[in-house]
Amino acid sequence: MERSRPSSPTHSPTEYAKGESEDFSALRRLLLSPEQVQLDRLRQRLDTFVIGPQEVSRVLPDAIRLRARQDNRLLASMLPITQEALALSIKQSPQLISDSIAPILGAAIRKAISRAMREMLQSLNQTLEYSMSWQGLQWRWEAWKTGRPFVEVVLLHTLRFRVEQVFLIHKKTGLLLNHVMADGISSQGEAAISGMLTAIQDFVRDSFQQGQDEGLESLRIGDLTVWIEQGSSAILATVIRGTPPVKLRDFLQTTLESLHVQYWDSLQNFQGDAAVFLETRPHLEDCLQAQFVKRRKGLPVVFWGLTAFLLALLGWWAYQASLNHQQWTELLKRIAAEPGIVVTTIQEEGGRTVFHGLRDPLAVDPERLLEEVGYPPYAAGFHFEPFIALTPEMVRKRAITVLHPPESVEVSIEGSRIILMGESSHGWISKVIRSAPAIPGVSEISLERLVDTDVKQFESLQVELEGQAIFFLSGQETVLNRELVKIRQVKDILQELDTKAVQLGRKPSIYILGYSSPVGSQPTNMSLSERRANKVLEILRETPFHVLKLFATGKGVDPDVKFGPGGGQRYSANRRVSFRVVEPGISPRGEVGAKIGP
Amino acid sequence: MIQKKICMLGGFAVGKTSLVRQLVSGIFSEKYLTTVGVKIDQKSLSVRGQDLLLVLWDLYGDDDFQKVRASYLQGASGYILVIDGTRKETVDVAWKLHELARKAIGPVPFAILLNKHDLVDEWVVKHPMISDLSDQACLVSMVSAKTGEGVEAAFFVLSEAILKS
Ligand SMILES: Nc1nc2c(ncn2[C@@H]2O[C@H](COP(=O)(O)OP(=O)(O)O)[C@@H](O)[C@H]2O)c(=O)[nH]1
Ligand SMILES: [Mg+2]
Repeated sequence: MERSRPSSPTHSPTEYAKGESEDFSALRRLLLSPEQVQLDRLRQRLDTFVIGPQEVSRVLPDAIRLRARQDNRLLASMLPITQEALALSIKQSPQLISDSIAPILGAAIRKAISRAMREMLQSLNQTLEYSMSWQGLQWRWEAWKTGRPFVEVVLLHTLRFRVEQVFLIHKKTGLLLNHVMADGISSQGEAAISGMLTAIQDFVRDSFQQGQDEGLESLRIGDLTVWIEQGSSAILATVIRGTPPVKLRDFLQTTLESLHVQYWDSLQNFQGDAAVFLETRPHLEDCLQAQFVKRRKGLPVVFWGLTAFLLALLGWWAYQASLNHQQWTELLKRIAAEPGIVVTTIQEEGGRTVFHGLRDPLAVDPERLLEEVGYPPYAAGFHFEPFIALTPEMVRKRAITVLHPPESVEVSIEGSRIILMGESSHGWISKVIRSAPAIPGVSEISLERLVDTDVKQFESLQVELEGQAIFFLSGQETVLNRELVKIRQVKDILQELDTKAVQLGRKPSIYILGYSSPVGSQPTNMSLSERRANKVLEILRETPFHVLKLFATGKGVDPDVKFGPGGGQRYSANRRVSFRVVEPGISPRGEVGAKIGP
Repeated sequence: MIQKKICMLGGFAVGKTSLVRQLVSGIFSEKYLTTVGVKIDQKSLSVRGQDLLLVLWDLYGDDDFQKVRASYLQGASGYILVIDGTRKETVDVAWKLHELARKAIGPVPFAILLNKHDLVDEWVVKHPMISDLSDQACLVSMVSAKTGEGVEAAFFVLSEAILKS
């Protein structure tokens, strides 16, 4: 650019012009006119010189080429601009970019989509397979049947997948670069296997005329699946037991890709020495994944079991709560209804419900009420003052406690009157009469419907005795042998009567009444009847009695015996001795006693 | 340990499979040969202090050498040309396979094994027949897959040559 500076003072033609004459100038114009014009024009051009786009455009391609050959400073300075421009371009017109790269990406995307579809189907299958929750039960059955621990059966079934071996294979030679195995897996001939896997790849590729990048993706051998990931220089083959998830495939692919990046040079220059690939071990071991179905299958059984248990617990609790409530209401009802207990207040004291009030000592033990309604004893307490309850129930209870009535006696209370019904011994009745008035709440005793069994027996003995008759022959007073038997029976009855009379505190007199038939004179008959009575008395006197007093008396002809025609029988019925029981103060049966008097 | 892929090449029934069987007890059934066309075995040996693992690719092939897939030869560090000493025509097949291999994998070491040496009385193959071939081979040896004669040594020599190359 130095040369284009026209203002330099020493060389400028205008400078010369200043100090010289017009003539010289004219001469010069004459001589040098054409050149002068040229010079002027040149000077003008130089004065206004700017490199225009036109000039640059002419040299730019070559300049770039030359500079790029020289060093990469041009590249360096262009890089950020290019990047920015690209970014801007994508931002402003993404369509343009996508149009340009679509043809390249199309194939890749198609492949990706078809793979995604396959993967989706696979995971659908898995979901179906694993959502059958009733399998858990089947396994339990199996475990029970085979006698193996359930856990073992579940484990056996829940091994979803396990990567057992990973081969990293050099694609071109089929040689093994590295190999890892899961625990417990033993393998031999990995190098041969590795070769076979490659050979099979080639076989499939050749057989089905696939392109170089396509290839066998998976092999199935029984339980085992071999997944083969293809890279440009290496193959990652995994031997998997079970059903591997699609995610694993992505992982393997990613692993293989990163191995390619990391070992690119080693892969290209591989000559059979795999030492450098030993470092891939951690990457390959990352591929040794395993997944057990996380008890999702076993879970439902446990889950439902747990749920059932919780529900049962809840139900039990609810039942208990309602039961508690029921018990509480029942308790209140019972206590309120219980005679002899008056609840004045109910208080919560130290976590328990305490009943305060009055309790008749004869009232039921409240603790027993708790027990009866099933209320927890620790949850309730009682604080009762003693009192005497005058409710009919309590009076009755008290009466029963005091009187100890026999089972045959029913005790009831009517106001302050105690009513006894049924039958009991004379002794008990006497006791009742003595002690009942002392019972609080009792002022009257009703014995009308209470039968004195001793009196009853006495009376029936009396009836029995008075039904007895000792017969005699006409005009005779001797006791016939057969009648002696009867007298013995009479004696027995008398003895019982004696005992009963003692019990009843009575002193009955036994009248032995002699009779005779109307045949004969009245005095004869009288005397005969008297003799007959005395005869019987004589015999009966042989037995001692405690309280019985025996009297013999002749009554002559019995006026009660009617004599009609043909009444021979009745005559003989009149030749007899009968018995009467007469008690002082107690109205005699029949008119006999009244006639006799004390 | 270094691995080397070695291919067994030769006409039908020359004894390739028998030779490999003599060397190793393989893990793959020989039915692979007819189905997939290849059976691979591995044999480890130590050559001058270097642990070596030979990966032997036994190719199935009838005399129609065209059927040998070039991909099987890929990455081989050496190969063995097997000739049946009792059949002249197997020399020709070996020659053609040799050319095929050359084209596919370039000039790698190879050994020529004249097999069935136990039947040497019936041999029709004479040395001059294979002189063109034997000039380039690292080893020409008379072996018997049946008796095992010379087999191990042949693989050893080829391994040495491969390591040196
Ligand atoms: N006598 C004898 N027979 C052999 C020998 N090697 C192979 N054979 C027989 O030759 C036949 C073909 O052998 P094979 O190994 O299958 O040949 P390939 O087709 O090259 O694999 C079989 O019947 C073998 O028993 C050998 O060294 N001696
Ligand atoms: Mg064979």
